[in-house]
Amino acid sequence: MGNFLTWVVWLVAAAACLGTGLRVVTASNPFASALSLIGNLASLAVLYLLASGEFVAAAQVLVYAGAVMVMFLFVIAYLGGRADAPWAGGTRLIQVSAVVAAVSLLAVTLVAVGLEAGDQLSKEADVTRSFGSPAGIGELFLTDQLLAFEITSIVLLVAAIGGVVLGMRSRAEQEADRPRAAP
Amino acid sequence: MVFGGWLCLLAPLAGFLAITLAGTRISRNQAGVLSTASVFAGFAGAVIAFVDALGRSPDDRSELTTAWTWLTAGDFKAGVELLVDPLSLVMMLVVTGIGGLIVLYSNGYMAGEDEERRYFAYMAFFVFSMLLLVEAGNLLLLLVGWGLVGLASYLLIGFYHERPSAVLAAKKAFIMNALGDAVMALAFFLTIAKVGSLDFAPVFDAASSGALSDTVVTLIALGLLGGAVAKSAQIPLHTWLPDAMEGPTPVSALIHAATMVTAGVYLICRTHPVFEAAPDVQHLAALLGLATLLVAGVVALVQWDIKRVIAYSTMSQIGYMFLGAGVGAYGFAMFHLVTHAFFKALLFLTAGIVIHHLSGEQDIRKMGGLRRELPITHATFLIGTLALVAIPPFAGFWSKDAILASALASGGALGWVLYIGGLIGTFLTGLYALRLYFYVFRGEPRHAEHAAEDHGEAPPTMIVPALVLALGSTVVGFLAIPGVWEPFEDWLAPVVEPLVTPSATEEWLTSLVAVSFGTVGGYLAWRAFRAGREIVADGAVRRALEHKLWFDELYDALFSRPAQALAVRLRDDVEQPVVQRGLDEIAEGTLDASAVMGRAQSGLLRTYALTFAVSVSILTLVFLVVR
Amino acid sequence: MSGPDIPWYLAVASILFTIGVAGVLLRRSPLIVLLSLEIMLNAANLAFVGFSRLHGEMDGQVFALSVMAVAAAEVCVGLGLIVAMARRRLDLDVDAFTELKG
Repeated sequence: MGNFLTWVVWLVAAAACLGTGLRVVTASNPFASALSLIGNLASLAVLYLLASGEFVAAAQVLVYAGAVMVMFLFVIAYLGGRADAPWAGGTRLIQVSAVVAAVSLLAVTLVAVGLEAGDQLSKEADVTRSFGSPAGIGELFLTDQLLAFEITSIVLLVAAIGGVVLGMRSRAEQEADRPRAAP
Repeated sequence: MVFGGWLCLLAPLAGFLAITLAGTRISRNQAGVLSTASVFAGFAGAVIAFVDALGRSPDDRSELTTAWTWLTAGDFKAGVELLVDPLSLVMMLVVTGIGGLIVLYSNGYMAGEDEERRYFAYMAFFVFSMLLLVEAGNLLLLLVGWGLVGLASYLLIGFYHERPSAVLAAKKAFIMNALGDAVMALAFFLTIAKVGSLDFAPVFDAASSGALSDTVVTLIALGLLGGAVAKSAQIPLHTWLPDAMEGPTPVSALIHAATMVTAGVYLICRTHPVFEAAPDVQHLAALLGLATLLVAGVVALVQWDIKRVIAYSTMSQIGYMFLGAGVGAYGFAMFHLVTHAFFKALLFLTAGIVIHHLSGEQDIRKMGGLRRELPITHATFLIGTLALVAIPPFAGFWSKDAILASALASGGALGWVLYIGGLIGTFLTGLYALRLYFYVFRGEPRHAEHAAEDHGEAPPTMIVPALVLALGSTVVGFLAIPGVWEPFEDWLAPVVEPLVTPSATEEWLTSLVAVSFGTVGGYLAWRAFRAGREIVADGAVRRALEHKLWFDELYDALFSRPAQALAVRLRDDVEQPVVQRGLDEIAEGTLDASAVMGRAQSGLLRTYALTFAVSVSILTLVFLVVR
Repeated sequence: MSGPDIPWYLAVASILFTIGVAGVLLRRSPLIVLLSLEIMLNAANLAFVGFSRLHGEMDGQVFALSVMAVAAAEVCVGLGLIVAMARRRLDLDVDAFTELKG
C-alpha cells in the first residue's frame, strides 16, 4: 500500500512538474509563466521529499518559491504591459533548430545516462532517517563543503551589489526627478 | 719596422673614425686638418719603418706579424697579418706621402663645398683601405683591402651625389671592379682548395715548385690578372676610368692616378711567383698592357675635357707598368709606378688649380693663355708634362725607358712587339700631352671673361703640394740611373727578383730612341696647335676615337641591355603573375574566408545560445563514445 | 526505497531540462528566457538530489542548495538588467540587441 501511494504521489508530482514547465515556456502572459513556475517549484519540492531531501525541499519552497519568485512577480507587475511576451518573430531556421537542439539534448541525455549508468543506477544506497536532515546538511556545509558555502555567500554579496548598481538612476535621471527651483 | 707599419695603417683609420664620429661637432676646416694630419701621421709611420729597414741588411728587411687569427675553418687559417717588406714599404711611402699632399691640397680645393667632412672622412678611409691592401700579409686580407678600396672609390666618385652622371659613373666603376673582385675570389677559392692556405709563402712555394698542375696555376693567375685588370682599368675592363672623372679633382689625383689604379701592378708584382709559373698569363698581362697603352693613347688625342685627357694618360701609363710586369721587370714597373704617382698627381692637381681658377670650366677649348695668369701653376704643369713624355732629366724618362729596355732584353717575338708598341706609345704620349699643354696654357685666352676668378694664383694649400710634387717629378727619377746608381732596383730585388735585366747599353740606347719619339710627337703637336688644326682630322678615324672605339656601346649591348631585358621579363612573367598575384590571392582569400566566418556572428543572442546547446549535445556524445 | 527508482527521477530531470532549453532558444522576451533558465537550474537540482539519494551521500543536496543560492543571485541581476532596459525605454526583445553582429 505504501509503495502504491508513493508511486501515485510521484507520478502526480512528476506530471505537474512537466506540465507546469511546459506552461512556463509556452505562455504568452508573463504572469501565467511566473505562476506556472511557482507550481513547478512546488511539485519539485514534492519530488525532493520523496527522494529524502527534506531540507532541500523546504529551502526550495521558502527561498525559491517564496523569495525569488516574488521578486519575479514584482518586476512583472512593475513592467506592466511591456512585459507581454507573444510568440512572434525569429527566423524559421532558428525555431526549427531550437526544437531540434532541445530534442537532441534530451535524447542524448537519456541515452547517455541509460547506456552508461545501466546497472549502476539500480542499486540505491540504504539511508538512515537522518539523511537529508538539516543537521546533516549543516554539518557538511561547515566541514567538507565549507569552501562552497563561503563562495556562495560571496556570490550573493556581489549579486546584491550588482542589483543596487543596476537599480541606480543615472545623474540625468536624478536631475530630472528633483523639482526644479524657481528661475 | 712593425711599429711603423701599424702606425702607418691605423693612423688614417683613426682619422676616418674621428671625423665620422665627431660628425657636425667639428667644423669643416677641422675635419680637413684632421684628415691631413692622420694621413701624414701614416706617412711618419712609413718613414719610421723605412728608416728601420734601411738600417738592416738586405736579406733581413721582411717582417710578417700577426695581430690575431681571424678565420679558422677546418685546416684553413687566415690571420690579420701585416707584411712590411721593401715592396710594401714603397707602396706605403707613395700612398701616404702623395696621399698626404693631395689631402692637404683638398683643404684648399674643397673649401666652400657642401659636405666637406664627408669628403675628408672618405679620403682618410681610402688611404686606410689602400694601406691595408699593400700591407696585407696574406691574400685574404689583401682581398679585404681590395674591396674596401673599391668601396672608397665608389663613395668618392659619387661624392656629388645630386649629379646623375656622377652616380652612374660611381655605379659603373663599382660594378666593373666587382667583376674583377669576383674573378679574384674564384682564384682564391681554387687556391684554398689546392694549396689549403692563403698565406703568401705556402702559395708561392706551391706555385713555383710545380706542386700545382699547369691548369690550376693558369686559372689562379688568370683570376689574379682579372682582378688587376679591373682595378687598374686595363682593356677590357677600362671603361670606368674616364667616367670616374666625375669625382672631385683631388679624388682623381689620388685614387685614379697615383694609388688605387696602380694596385693591379702591385698585385702582379706581389704574386709574381704565381705568374712566373704560368708564363702564358704573364705574357697576356704584357699584351693587355700594350693594347691599353696604345688605345688610350689614341683616344686621348680627341678628348676635350682636361681631366679625361689625363685619365686616358693614366690608363696608358699603367699599360706600361703592366707591360713591365708582364716581361718580369717588376722593379722597373714599380719604379714607373712611383714616378708616375708623382707626375700624374701633379698633373691632376695643377689641372684642378686651373679648373678652380676658371670656376669649374673643364673644356680645354675654353682655356688658353693661362701661362700669364697662373705662372707657378704653368711651370709645375709643364714639369709634369715633360715627366710624362719622358724627357730627361725628369722622372718619367728614367722609369719608362727602363721598362722598354726590359722588353727589348726579354727577347723573342713578344719582346720586339712590346718594344715597338711601347715606342709608338711614347710618340702618342708626346702628341696628346703637349696638345693638352698648348691648349690650356699657350695661345690667347679663350675663356669667358667673367669665368676667371680674380685672385691670381691659387692659395698656398694648393700650390705647395704642387710644388713638392714637381720637385719629386724632377728628382725621383735619379733613383735608377742605369749602370751608375740603381738603389731602387737593389732595394726591391730581395723581394721581387726581376726576370730580365737589361744591360746599361740597352737602356741608354732605348732611352735615346724613346726620347726622340717623344720629342717628335711633341713637335707635331706644336705644329698642329700653331696651325690651329686638330691632330686627328675629321673623318671615320676621328669618329671612332670620339666614341672611345665603341667599347661602351659594346658592353651596353652585350651585358647591360640583356640584363635589363631579363629583369623586365622576370618581372613580367615571374614576379608579377606568380609572386605578386600569389600574395594578392592569399590576402583576398583570407578576407573572403573571414567574411564567410563573419556571418556566424549574427548578433542575435539566441543564435549563440543555440550554438551552446548544439555543442553540449555533441560533447555529451563524444563523452559517451570516449568513455 | 519505495516508489520509483532513481532513473525515473533522472528522466524527469532530463525532460525538464530540455523544456528549459527550448524555452531559452525559442522565446523572445527576456523575462520568459529568465524563467526558462530557472527551469533548467531546477532540473539540474533534481538530478543532484536524485544522485545524492543513489549514493547515500548528502553532497548532492548540499550542492543543490548552493545552486539555489546562485540562482537567486542570478535572478536578482537579471531582473535588474531587465528593469534597467525598461527604464531606458528599450524594446524588451532579445533579438533587438545586435551590437555583437559581424
